[in-house]
Amino acid sequence: MANPGGGAICNGNLHKHEKQSDGSPSGNCVKNGIVKEAQQNGRPHFYKPIVESFEEAPLHVMVFTYLGYGLGTLFGYLRDFLRSCGLEKCNAAIEREEQKDFVPLYQNFENFYTRNLYMRIRDNWNRPICSAPGSQFDVMERVSDDYNWTFRFTGRIIKDVINMGSYNFLGLAASYDESMRTVKDVLEDYGLGVASTRHEMGTLDKHEELENLVAKFLNVEAAMVFGMGFATNSMNIPALVGKGCLILSDELNHASLVLGARLSGATIRIFKHNNMQSLEKLLRDAVIYGQPRIRRAWKKILILVEGIYSMEGSIVDLPQIVALKKKYKAYLYIDEAHSIGSVGPTGRGVVEFFGLDPRDVDVLMGTFTKSFGAAGGYIAGRKDLVDYLRVHSHSAVYATSMSPPVAEQIIRSMKFIMGLDGTTQGLQRVRQLAKNTRYFRQRLNEMGFIIYGNEESPVIPLLLYMPAKVAAFARHLLNRKIGVVVVGFPATPLAEARARFCVSAAHTREMLDTVPSLSTKLDIKNNLPMIIYSNNSSPIG
Amino acid sequence: MNVGVAHSEVNPNTQVMNSWGIWLAYIILVRLLHVVLLSIPFFSILVVWTLTNVIHNLAMYVFLHTVKGTPFETPNQGKPRLLTHWEQMDYGLQFTSSCKFLSISPIVLYLLASFYTKYAAHFLINTASLLSVLLPKLPQFHGVRLFGINKY
Repeated sequence: MANPGGGAICNGNLHKHEKQSDGSPSGNCVKNGIVKEAQQNGRPHFYKPIVESFEEAPLHVMVFTYLGYGLGTLFGYLRDFLRSCGLEKCNAAIEREEQKDFVPLYQNFENFYTRNLYMRIRDNWNRPICSAPGSQFDVMERVSDDYNWTFRFTGRIIKDVINMGSYNFLGLAASYDESMRTVKDVLEDYGLGVASTRHEMGTLDKHEELENLVAKFLNVEAAMVFGMGFATNSMNIPALVGKGCLILSDELNHASLVLGARLSGATIRIFKHNNMQSLEKLLRDAVIYGQPRIRRAWKKILILVEGIYSMEGSIVDLPQIVALKKKYKAYLYIDEAHSIGSVGPTGRGVVEFFGLDPRDVDVLMGTFTKSFGAAGGYIAGRKDLVDYLRVHSHSAVYATSMSPPVAEQIIRSMKFIMGLDGTTQGLQRVRQLAKNTRYFRQRLNEMGFIIYGNEESPVIPLLLYMPAKVAAFARHLLNRKIGVVVVGFPATPLAEARARFCVSAAHTREMLDTVPSLSTKLDIKNNLPMIIYSNNSSPIG
Repeated sequence: MNVGVAHSEVNPNTQVMNSWGIWLAYIILVRLLHVVLLSIPFFSILVVWTLTNVIHNLAMYVFLHTVKGTPFETPNQGKPRLLTHWEQMDYGLQFTSSCKFLSISPIVLYLLASFYTKYAAHFLINTASLLSVLLPKLPQFHGVRLFGINKY
């Protein structure tokens, strides 16, 4: 279906370009400047209607959430009082008796939340696993005798827990099988440690091979790989921008991007999440007013966004951003940590998902941790950009380069996805992931849960809201042998605690069916908390 | 950087009071307090309303104007450690809608209490309690610590 929305531009209003998002005030994004720009690109755009939803919970849920936190706080005060009286044993770090008159070493109030709320439900996080994180894994069973202050392992292992938490989008993070033979050979030839940085003796032929392959995969001129995904962002943004530059960063950017932006010394301005009007306003103000006080033009304007936001499941509105960046002559840096390998018809990421030209994005960054089952990150783009980074990146000068077996694992996975190993299994996995995503989201929506994010994103946050339900949900699912990641305040906004599912191509339909059915069985048979809040569907009784 | 969090809000305490949910929760709590006090058999209506007013103002004073700092660690090197919750709200921006709501609610409660006590009984107690909770909300009192109480 070529260009469904293309022909109907009248007076700058583009018809049929639907962006249905319940949270945003304007349904049709019809700023005259932007839409004309995107249309006049000379290439017929595949206008996908972006269906993202961030439904708000009904009011009674929000009230109960805040009442829950209030009650938890009151009990926290009570228990702190009991601890200070001596009626309850204090397990947290306290001052020694001799030092009580010194300036205090610990801020007691800053640990209030950790002591009184987090510790009580701490058994839902940091669970040790003892197998490869495939579609199923083994969890070590642990119990606590003193209400989660200390744990001990019982020695038993919970086998075959369905893995809904690992970023294993294409199922490549599995235990050893014959297709990984090349990795074993490389391990035997090259060993494990590199013992040097890229600038000194740490550039191996494996790195060159990998970098050429990454550039070919992404359809760009060149790429450079680094040993750690977080460090790719935080060490390379300071090399690209500095003082006198402006960084426009999305509200919900990852900590690595925030750290890199702060380390660079550039001015940072934040625009509302995926909100193009907010971004355009910031761009206009930047171009018109220049630097504060001296009113000179900014040396560079860099827009920092992510491909898929891992806590929201939303996909960046790339066509609009590219149109904006061309209009205002800014640079674009996309962090495709979650989207590379998992979205797009052949898994090439969010640029392919929207059908755009990779040359439109100035810096393509991504990690190999999620879809490729390895570790590390890359930065790709034009050859002169990558050559500059080879010389000036902090990571190239000081950090050890990627380990050869890890590089070989990435080479193997990338060839698998691209089809260069002679089979179509890679493409089938990408398609299977898309199918699983759509099926899972559809099932959860039907059941009436509130799900955030784009309908094609494999990261699915399911909103739980109340702090106690966060713990109950995770524990209940583990008892039924499903492992999920739950997140609460302060990692998310106060009233939006959630469980985050990551769909994988390795999940079978039966596995995907167990999760929603267990989440509803919660309500009826076991008198456990209800989490069906959506107004958009009929509640399934 | 904000370790382990998925948003760029440096101090989440600033945004806590800004949603409809918490305003409604607050109203429900006040009503609950009132109903609980009403159910104690030997209090007359006058005493119950005065008690509601006084306890509400006391709780508001303690939680908004006495407790300082944040109950979680923030990445800004403890800048809000010496600020009460009221001073942290919206990073010190004055006259936001949640500020107005929280200023108006003790006044509403005072008017109701005065009506039910027939404007005569417990007048001084009610007025003193209202003043104790309204004065710290004035922008002129931002960061002011009288007599060095509660400074550190």
